[in-house]
Amino acid sequence: MDKLLEIKELCKSFGDHLVLDHITTDINRGDVLCLVGPSGGGKSTFLRSLNLLEMPTSGKIYFEGTDITDPKTNIDNVRKKIGMVFQHFNLFPHLTIMENMTLSPINVLKLSKDEAESKAKELLNRVGLMDKKDTYPNMLSGGQKQRVAIVRSLMMNPDVMLFDEPTSALDPEMVGEVLDVMKELAKEKMTMVVVTHEMGFAREVANRVAFLDQGQFAYENNPDKFFKDPNNERLKNFLSKVL
Amino acid sequence: MENIIKALQLNLIKDNRYIYLIDGLKNTMIITLFATIVGIVLGLLISLIRTTYDNTNGLKNSNAILRVLIKFANAICQLYITIIRGTPVVIQLMILFFCIFTSRNASGVLIAIIGFGLNSSAYVAEIFRSGLMSIDQGQMEAGRSLGLSYLDTMRLIIVPQAFKVVLPSLCNEFIVLIKETSVAGYVAVQDLTKGGDIIRSRTYDAWTPLLIVAGVYLLLTCIFSAFVKKLEVSLRKNERTN
Repeated sequence: MDKLLEIKELCKSFGDHLVLDHITTDINRGDVLCLVGPSGGGKSTFLRSLNLLEMPTSGKIYFEGTDITDPKTNIDNVRKKIGMVFQHFNLFPHLTIMENMTLSPINVLKLSKDEAESKAKELLNRVGLMDKKDTYPNMLSGGQKQRVAIVRSLMMNPDVMLFDEPTSALDPEMVGEVLDVMKELAKEKMTMVVVTHEMGFAREVANRVAFLDQGQFAYENNPDKFFKDPNNERLKNFLSKVL
Repeated sequence: MENIIKALQLNLIKDNRYIYLIDGLKNTMIITLFATIVGIVLGLLISLIRTTYDNTNGLKNSNAILRVLIKFANAICQLYITIIRGTPVVIQLMILFFCIFTSRNASGVLIAIIGFGLNSSAYVAEIFRSGLMSIDQGQMEAGRSLGLSYLDTMRLIIVPQAFKVVLPSLCNEFIVLIKETSVAGYVAVQDLTKGGDIIRSRTYDAWTPLLIVAGVYLLLTCIFSAFVKKLEVSLRKNERTN
């Protein structure tokens, strides 16, 4: 198996509160790992640690063999290969959709404006938002914003995509359009780590589902076992509440 | 009516006294313009140092040298703001003029530019800082997770948005600055106010030159406000919903 991310004994505490408690796991190329669990369980913190938006208190994270927690590692070089999609989209409101997408490729990957724009058009076509390219983010619906946020990350050709509750801030009728884009990505063998409350999505798309509770991977299995026959009391309790 | 025309004739036309006002206006505008530039550049720099220090917990995740550097810079900036905001601008000008630049060839206008620029920068720094702090943390996270460096994210994403937020207070600050330059006469600069003073001392008429000078200041601030209003509208184009 080709290990993309290796997480070793990862701990994170905020003050006295231990949010991540010695998590060790690997994420392989092509994995779609869904993280579920109660709020406060550490899902988002774990995800945000993977590109150092949260600095681990202790432990190591290797990305493609590089220890990214080492202060000598240039984190910007790592982050351009790790796409991230946020709950609240975080599009840049002062830039058009096209500018949102081309900003980083032009400034970081040093693509020419033409190259970046033609690539952006291709991606916008794929998610059916070509006609929005010259509008500003606040003219888009939540679902459209999130689709733009996803393709904005894809502009960088990331090796892995992190999703932090990508559908939690959406009106119910818009959840589907975002999940469809994510399913497409999974089909193309994109490595994905997804914090989600969409159990249907986890069951259908993930190859691994992990239950994060009290800062630990309390249970992990393939979706079939995970949802049908979990061998864990806390998970059973959790699933009985959300399913 | 006849009296007014007579007064204007005496205060403006006779002996080409209007020249005092024109020259004064020129100096006032030069001082304001360049002090504004100094204020914005220095103020932005100070606010970036202060915001970076606050937001990153003193660059907690960087190496030791950078941590010491930012801590030192932040302390300097805080001290600077405290002193500049805590003392009258006239005193600051006079210290520059009589204590620091004591050379006889030091130009009063240059000293006024430096003095008002430094003074304004302390206020501008706090205005910018409030703007930078008002931008959602998610914007920085989005920029950084796209691989942009901290400085690029600031430059391309945070500062442009913050600028729009602070434009009204920034405008207010510069209206204050235009008027504040009227104390430049203290350091031998012949600005608009001083020009009016000279005419008064020649004609013994207080009303006419003072009212004219007041009118010119009012005109200046109105023109400036109108210009900023235009700028605000054009910056807000992305907020319209259709």
